[in-house]
Amino acid sequence: MDQGLQNLETSSFYVMLMAYTLCMFFHWAWIGTKKELMGRFATYLSIVGLVANTAAIILRMIIAGRPPLSNSYEFLLAFIWGIIFVYLFIEYRYKLRSLGAFVMPIAFLILMFIIMSMGPEERIAQAIPPALKSKWLTFHVVTAMFSYGAFATSFGLGIMYLLKIGEEGKGKKSNPHGIISRFPALDIIDELSYKVIGFAFPLLTLCIITGAIWANYAWGTYWSWDPKETWSLITWIIYAAYLHARLMYGWKGKRAAWMTIFGFAAVLFTFFGVNYFLPGLHSYAISQPNILV
Amino acid sequence: MKEQREGIVEYIWRVFSSMKLGLILLGLVALVSGVGTVFPQANLDPGKAKEVGEIWQTLGFTQIYSTVWFRLLMGLLCINLVVCSIQRFQGIYNRTFALKPPVSVSNVFSKIKAKLAGESEPLKISVQDVLKRNGFKLTINSGDNGWSFIAIKRRLGNWGSLISHISFVVLVIGAILGTTMGFKGFMMSSAGSTVPINSISVSKGRINQDFSVRIYSAEDRFLPNGERDNWYTDMGIIENGTEVLRKTISVNHPLTYRGVTFYQSSFANGASLTVDLKDQKLPIVLQDHGGNYFQAPGTELYLIAAAIKSDPQKPIMLYQVYRGKGVQPVQTGQINAGETIDVQGEYKLTLEANAGFTGLQVKQDPGVMVVWLGCALLLLGLFLSFYWRSMVVLGVFESGQGTEGELTMGTMAGKVTGGVQEEFDRLIHDIQAK
Ligand code: HEM
Repeated sequence: MDQGLQNLETSSFYVMLMAYTLCMFFHWAWIGTKKELMGRFATYLSIVGLVANTAAIILRMIIAGRPPLSNSYEFLLAFIWGIIFVYLFIEYRYKLRSLGAFVMPIAFLILMFIIMSMGPEERIAQAIPPALKSKWLTFHVVTAMFSYGAFATSFGLGIMYLLKIGEEGKGKKSNPHGIISRFPALDIIDELSYKVIGFAFPLLTLCIITGAIWANYAWGTYWSWDPKETWSLITWIIYAAYLHARLMYGWKGKRAAWMTIFGFAAVLFTFFGVNYFLPGLHSYAISQPNILV
Repeated sequence: MKEQREGIVEYIWRVFSSMKLGLILLGLVALVSGVGTVFPQANLDPGKAKEVGEIWQTLGFTQIYSTVWFRLLMGLLCINLVVCSIQRFQGIYNRTFALKPPVSVSNVFSKIKAKLAGESEPLKISVQDVLKRNGFKLTINSGDNGWSFIAIKRRLGNWGSLISHISFVVLVIGAILGTTMGFKGFMMSSAGSTVPINSISVSKGRINQDFSVRIYSAEDRFLPNGERDNWYTDMGIIENGTEVLRKTISVNHPLTYRGVTFYQSSFANGASLTVDLKDQKLPIVLQDHGGNYFQAPGTELYLIAAAIKSDPQKPIMLYQVYRGKGVQPVQTGQINAGETIDVQGEYKLTLEANAGFTGLQVKQDPGVMVVWLGCALLLLGLFLSFYWRSMVVLGVFESGQGTEGELTMGTMAGKVTGGVQEEFDRLIHDIQAK
C-alpha cells in the first residue's frame, strides 16, 4: 500500500514536470505564433500541472502523516504550487495569458533545480526533528507559498513591463505584429503588479510573524537574526520601500518594475542563497533546517 | 533668538516627518542587516566570530545587531515613524470622520467621473438609498442651487498605514523590554533531580525568582515506525516546599510559571548508578559522552560515562576513571545493568538503569507580549491598508430649469483605479435604475 502510494507520488511529480515544461513551450509558441490553439494548450497544461502538483503534495502528506512542509524538496513543491496558482488566478481574472511566458520559466527552473541538485534520497519523506512538529510551521509555509507565488508573478510582470517599454522607447511604435503587442498597456501591467504586491506584502508579513511565533515556542526566541530570518526581513524592507516610493514619489513604471525584479531576487536569495552561499549557519540550523523561509 | 530656536526645532521636525528620511533609514537597516549575515555573529556562532579579524570585531561587525549604531538606526526610525504619525493624524481624521461635501462641480476633480441628468428630489433619494445599501456613510449639504454629498465606505481603511507605523514602534519597544529585562538561561538535569531556579547558568540577565524545578522524568520517545516522536520532560514547580504545578513539556510545548518559560530544547542519555563507599551508599546519575562527572567524596577519583547504550532492557555503560589532574584514565571498562565493579579499591559501582537528561532553555521575557501586540497591530494595519481600502464617492447636483438638473459624481480613487472603477460603475447603474 505504502509502495503504491509512493509510486503514485513519484508519477504525480513527473506528470507535473512534463505538464509545466510543455506548458512553458506552448506559452512561448503562443506569443510567437498567436495561434489560439497554442494558447489553449498552454492553459490546459498549466491546469494539468497544478492538479498533478496538488496530488504530489497531498500524497506526500498521506505518506508522511504530516504537512508536507519540512524539507527543501517539499517546500519547493509548495513554492511552485503557489506560483502557478497565483498565475492562473491572474490569467483567469485579467485575461492575461502572455504573463505565462515569463512565469512558467520560473517554475521550470525550480523544477530543474530539484532534478539536478536533489538525489532521490533527498526527495523522499524523511523523519523530522521534534522542533518541526508545530502547527505554526504549517501556517508559516502556507503564507510563504502564496506570497512568494505572488512575488514571482509580479517579477514576471516587471519583465514584461521592461520589455515593452524597451521596445516602445526605441521610438518605433510597438510593432503591431510583434510579440510585445500581446502585452497589455504599460500602465495596466504596472498597476496589476502593484496590486499583486499589495496582496502579497501582508502575507509575507504574516509569514515572518508565524515564523517568529513558531521559533518562540520551539526555542524561546522569536527573533535571533539568523541569516534566513534576516534575509526575509530584507526582502520585506525592499517591498515596503517599493510601496512607499510608489505612494510618495510616484515611483511607477520603469523604476517600479526594477523594484519587483529586485524584490524577487531577494526572495530567491532568502531561499537559495542563504543555504548555499552564506557562511556560519548557527548551531540549531541542524534542528531548524531550510524551512525558515 | 527665540525665532531662530523655533526654526531649528521646526527644521528637525520637518526632517523627521519626511518619508525620504524614512526610506533612507529603512535602506540602511536592510544594508546593515545584510552585512550581518556575511559576518558570523557572536550570538549564533561564537567560535567562528572569534576568528574574524580583530578590527572587525572591535567595530562590532560580529555582533552587528546589538551595536550602538544599529540601535541608533532603529531609534531614529522609530522617531521618524512617531513624528510622521503625529503629523498625519489630523489629516487622516479629517479624511475619515470630517468629510465635507464638495462646494461646486469643479471640486469633483477625479479620473473616475459620471454625469446623471434627472429631477432633484428623486435623484437625491436614489443616491441616498443606493449608497446606504452599499455600506456608505453619507453627508449631504443642501444649498440654494441644488445639493451635494460625500460618502465613504470601509473608512477604517484610512487608518491602516498609521496603525502599521505605530505597530513598528510597538515592536521595537517590545524588543527593548526583552533585552533590558528578564533573563535567558539553560539547565541540563537528570530525572529525579530538584534544581533551584536561581542556580541555573544564565547567559543574559539575572534571576530574581526563587522557586525550584523538580524533574520527574526525561524521555526520548519514539513512534512505532521508529521515528523520533519528541522529547518529554515531566516536571513540577516547587514553591516553599510545596508543589504548585506539574506538567509534561516537549519541544514546541513549553510551560510558563510566573513569567518564566521552560522550553524543551535538548536531550541526552544518562545512567543511574549506585556508589557504595565504605560507609555510605550514594545514588548518582551520569550523562552520556562525559556530560558530567562524579567525584567520590574523600577521593581524587573522577568518574565519567564515555558512552551509554540506552536499551531499556539491557543498558550498558562504558566508563572512565581519572585520578587528580591526570589526563589518562586510570581505569576504563564496560558495566552492564545490575553488574557491580570495583573502582580503584576505593568504592563499588553498580549500574541500575537508564536515566534521561533533559536540556531546558529557561527564559523570562516581559517584552514578548508587547511584541505579539505589535505583530497583531502590524497585521491589522496592513490588512486595513491593502484589503480594506476606503472608497469615497462625492457629487454635486446643480439644477437647471425647474427641478431638472444634472448630478456630477466622482470618486477619489486613491492608489488603485482598477476595482474602484467597476464599483463606481455599478453604483451609477443602480442609481440610474431607480
Ligand atoms: C517600518 C516599516 C513600515 C511599514 C510596515 C509601513 C507601512 C505602510 C503601509 C502599509 C502604508 C500604506 C501603503 C499603501 O497603501 O500602499 C504606508 C504608507 C505610508 N508610510 Fe509607511 N511603513 C513603514 C515605514 C515608514 C516610514 C519610516 C515612513 C517615514 C516617515 C513612512 C511613511 C509613510 C507615509 C507618509 C505613507 C503614506 C500614507 C498614505 O498616504 O496613505 N512609513 N506605510
